Amino acid sequence: MEKLKILIIDDDVDLVEALKVTLTGAQYTVITASNKMEGMEKITSEKPALIVLDVMMSTWQDGFELSRELKNNPEFKNIPILMLTSITERTGVEFKSSAGDPTWMPVDGFLDKPVEPAVLLSEVQKLLREKL
Amino acid sequence: MMPAADNATLVRRAFWLIRLRWIAVVVLVLGTFFLHDVLGIAVEATKLYAVAVLLAAYNGVLLLLLNRFADKADGTTGGIVGKVIKFQIYADLPVLTVLLHYSGGIENPFVFFFIINIIVAIFFLSIWESYLQATLAVLLLGVMILLEYLEVIPHHCLEGYIKDCSYRDNGYVLGTYLVFAVVLYIIVYITGYIFSSVKETEKTNARLLEKDRIKDEYVAHLTHDIRGHLATIQSCLSVVLTGTLDKQSSEFTGRAFRRTKKLTDFAKTFMTLTKIRLNGKADMSEVSLKRTVNRVVDALRSGAEEKSIKLICHISDTVENIHGVELYIEEMLTTLLLNAIKYTPENGDITVRLASELDSVRLQISDTGIGIPAAEQAKIFDEFYRAGKAACCLRAICRSQNGKSYLRTQ
Repeated sequence: MEKLKILIIDDDVDLVEALKVTLTGAQYTVITASNKMEGMEKITSEKPALIVLDVMMSTWQDGFELSRELKNNPEFKNIPILMLTSITERTGVEFKSSAGDPTWMPVDGFLDKPVEPAVLLSEVQKLLREKL
Repeated sequence: MMPAADNATLVRRAFWLIRLRWIAVVVLVLGTFFLHDVLGIAVEATKLYAVAVLLAAYNGVLLLLLNRFADKADGTTGGIVGKVIKFQIYADLPVLTVLLHYSGGIENPFVFFFIINIIVAIFFLSIWESYLQATLAVLLLGVMILLEYLEVIPHHCLEGYIKDCSYRDNGYVLGTYLVFAVVLYIIVYITGYIFSSVKETEKTNARLLEKDRIKDEYVAHLTHDIRGHLATIQSCLSVVLTGTLDKQSSEFTGRAFRRTKKLTDFAKTFMTLTKIRLNGKADMSEVSLKRTVNRVVDALRSGAEEKSIKLICHISDTVENIHGVELYIEEMLTTLLLNAIKYTPENGDITVRLASELDSVRLQISDTGIGIPAAEQAKIFDEFYRAGKAACCLRAICRSQNGKSYLRTQ
C-alpha cells in the first residue's frame, strides 16, 4: 500500500524537523515547505493527503490566507488542514471555536504548540479517517 | 485650561453645562416667585420670568445642537462641541447682568454669582480667556451700575429688602464694585493656578500610562517570541523522549523537557497577565459558571485521584449565568485547582463550591493543603513576589471579569 503524503508548512525549521520525525516514524511520507508560496507549489505538484499548517509565518496572516485559498479551490478543498497555533495568547482570540467556519477559519483541526508527538499522530489519524 | 479631553469627555462636559443651566432656570423661576410673591420684595418678576424663558430657549437650542453633533464620527464633533461650550460661557455673562439689573443691580447680593461663571470659564478656557471673561464681567457690571447711577436706565429698588436705595451712594457703589472686581481677578489667578497644577498631573499620568502600555506591549511581544522558541524546544525534546534512549540520556532529556514545560507555563501565565493589562476589560458574553466549573473539575479529576485526593464539587441550583470571558474563567479555575492538587497531601480533600449571593456568585475553592504562612499572605497577589505571579494573574483575570478575589488560610 502506498504511504500517505503529508505536507508540513512552517517557517520554524527545527519544529518542522521534529514533526517530520514523528510523522515519518508513523509510516507517512513527509514533504515540507517554509512559506505560503512554496506551500502552494508543493500542494499543486505533490497533492498531499493532509496539510499541517502553521498559523503565523512571515506575515501573521499567511496561514489564514492559504487555508482560505485552498478551501475556495475545488481541486484542493477536500485536503484536510491541521493548523498549528500559538496565536491565542497574542490576540486573545479563541480560534478553536471558529474552526470549520467556511469563510473565517476554514481548517479542519487545531493543535497548540508545543506539539506532543502522540497528540499530533492521533489528530492526523482522526482527520485522515474523517476524509476517507 | 481644560485638561486635554477626548471628544467623549468634551461632550459629557458640554451636557453638564446644559444641565447646570436647567438648574439655573428652575432656581430663577422659583427664586423670583419666592422673593416676589412670598417675601413681597419688589423684584421685576415679569422681566425675570422673561429672562428665564430666554435662558431656557437658548439652552434648548444648544441641547438640540449637541444631540445632533455629539456622536458624529467624522471628527467635527470636537470643534462644534467646543464652540457650544464657549458660546454658553460668553452668553451667560450678559444674561446674568440683565438679571441683576431687574433685581436691584449693585444692591443685589447675587452679584457674586459672576464667580460661578468665572470658575466655569477657567475650567474650560485658557487662562488668558479667563482673565478676559473676568474683565468682561467687570465691564458689564460697571456699565450697568453707571447707567443706573446716571439714571439712563431705571434702577429697580429692592423694596421690602433694602430700606434705602443706595445705587447712587458713591461710597457703597464704588466699594462694592471694587471688591467685586478684585475678587474676580483673584479667583482667576488662584483657581487658574490650581487647575493648571491638576492639568500638569493629568498630563504626567497620561505620559506614564502610555509608557506603561508601550512596556507591556514590548513584554508581550518578547514573551510571545520566547514562548515560540520554547514550544519548538519542547516539541523537539518530546520527539527525543519517544525514541529509544539509554537510561542516563532519558533521565536528563526528561529533566530538560520538564524544565522547558515549566518555563512555557510561566511564559503563558505572564502573557495572560500582560494581555489583560493591555486590553483592560475583554469582550464579555454570557457564561454558564455551572457548566464551566463542571468541565474543569471533570478534566482535573483524574489528576486528583492519582494522589488519592477527593475532589468534591457543590454547585447550587440557583446559580445564574454571569457576564464574562469563559476562556479566562476556565483558565483561572484550572490554575487554582492545579495548585490545590499540587499542594494538598495524599488522601486530602479539595472542595469547590459555587453558590449565588445577593447579586453575585461566589466560587470558593478550599483544600486541606499546607496553607500559606500569615507573613506571606499579604504578598501573594504581588506580581514580583516569588510565588505571586499566578495569584496576581488570577486577581487580574478576576478583576477583568468584574469579580473580587479573596484569600483565607487556616
